[in-house]
Amino acid sequence: MQTWTEKIILFIWCGFSYVFLLSPMVVVMGASLHGGEFSAAIKFPPDEPSFQWYSKIPSEQFEALALSLLVAAVATFIAALIAIPAALGLVRSNFKAKFAITSVFRAPLQIPAIVSGIAFLQLYYLIFDTSGLMLAGTIPGMLLGHVFIATPFLFGTIVAVLQRFDYRLEEASYSLGAGRWRTLYRVTLPTIMPGIYSGGLYAFMVSFADVPMSIFLTAPGFVTYPVELFYAMENDFDPSILASSSIVIVFCLAMLLVVQKVVGLETLLRSGGGSAR
Amino acid sequence: MENRWFAYLIPPFIVTLLLVAGSQFVFIQNSFYQDLGLGRTGTDLTLVNYIKFFTDSFYLKTFWITIKVSAIAALLTLFLGFPIAYVVARMKSRLAMFLLAGIVVSTFVTIVIKVFGLIIIFSADGVINKTLLNLGLIERAYSIIGTQEGVVIGLMHFTIGFSVLLLYSVVVTVPPSLEYAAQIHGASRLRVYQRVIIPLCAPGFVVGGLMIFNMCMGAFTSAALLGGGRVLTLPVLVQRTVMMEVKYSTAASIAFVLLVSVILINLFSLIAIRRLRSARLVVA
Repeated sequence: MQTWTEKIILFIWCGFSYVFLLSPMVVVMGASLHGGEFSAAIKFPPDEPSFQWYSKIPSEQFEALALSLLVAAVATFIAALIAIPAALGLVRSNFKAKFAITSVFRAPLQIPAIVSGIAFLQLYYLIFDTSGLMLAGTIPGMLLGHVFIATPFLFGTIVAVLQRFDYRLEEASYSLGAGRWRTLYRVTLPTIMPGIYSGGLYAFMVSFADVPMSIFLTAPGFVTYPVELFYAMENDFDPSILASSSIVIVFCLAMLLVVQKVVGLETLLRSGGGSAR
Repeated sequence: MENRWFAYLIPPFIVTLLLVAGSQFVFIQNSFYQDLGLGRTGTDLTLVNYIKFFTDSFYLKTFWITIKVSAIAALLTLFLGFPIAYVVARMKSRLAMFLLAGIVVSTFVTIVIKVFGLIIIFSADGVINKTLLNLGLIERAYSIIGTQEGVVIGLMHFTIGFSVLLLYSVVVTVPPSLEYAAQIHGASRLRVYQRVIIPLCAPGFVVGGLMIFNMCMGAFTSAALLGGGRVLTLPVLVQRTVMMEVKYSTAASIAFVLLVSVILINLFSLIAIRRLRSARLVVA
């Protein structure tokens, strides 16, 4: 029902938006293939394509990448342990203060990450002053901050799935003789699993990409990958950093494909990690 | 039955409340102590940091620049995000899912990597500068680092993926049958946009626009890297005050001003949603 003029305008407009959206990532991957001699020369399109910079990635970047993966994975796991019972309890019980309680669980999304960063840093200083325990620059300290920013994503998607839950499934399970725990493990959890996977993916990715929270909780020799990149960029950088960035872009793509295989893209979009914000 | 589910809620609620209240309380309290520099603070509660913020032209200018670049970035993001959302929502083939997948992947990649790409694209011998120089539109290479335009582009990259997903969920609530009905009654396509699509999406645009504006206000990474120390926004100022000047109380007061502005915008958009919903303008 659309006219040709309209189709052409939409096509050009859309094309422009997509180029704007995707070009930085394409350019990073392209420029990482730079084959010239000078390390300072970052060029797109690359001169003589080669993979030489991929073998020159310094070990600090791999260590940072490993730390980021570890923190993101563990933070997502802990966030799931908080978000699953919270969502079940919230959707299934009836009381008046629901809105207030939901706001508390969603609060970390409303607070700008930089504010949370400085808040956690000052909290850690206070804990240090009172107990002598320094959390800033340690794995538990980093994890706590990341659990804080990751939980709302899982909470949001699981609540969305639970609101569409068909209660007759549980009634059928009870009437067939399954107890509470058996029903929870065999019926309820498997049904909300797509929500857990897609929320978990968003939570993992948000934690994995975070700068503003992590930048306050790092220490020399204890830096997450995005923060390592951030500092590299404030100084001079060479194409090896583009090589490791390209590996991360491919990793993000791979994560999406895995989730597509497990729960399907539709579920991922419908359960609305986007709308969790 | 009900009590059992309520019991599930209590432990995670206590943990989250402790994290939220604990962290926020400490820094808000710190913002009311006088800053003595080098991480030391006074012991008496005072409003001195806030008085300084609202009387010093440097802080007020930073506040104004933050609002300005965020507003421009939010509007441009909506402008670029809408066609993708509309086309994908109306597409019937499986291609739509692939197009959305592209958006989702772009939201996963850390903004630092995207800023890398932007810097290469806009560098002195990058694609944009070469083209503009060859066309004779500019006389010498133009750099986006340290300019407000650069910060706006960075903020747009930070929010555009999210805005497409958001606008997509708005457009899906407008059934295509409404468009057909208008056309059967003789409306041209332009008129369908004017009288059907835009009015029905408008509430979503307003609320979505406010959310994107909020994200921009709080955006640190892209603003810090593309501002290059010359264009400061509130989040960048918070980080610099902590890391370079080691003034925790001043930083806390700036952060609190930022937090309150963001919460006010949120409340405003919440009220907007309620109003629009009661006027039956929003389906979802």
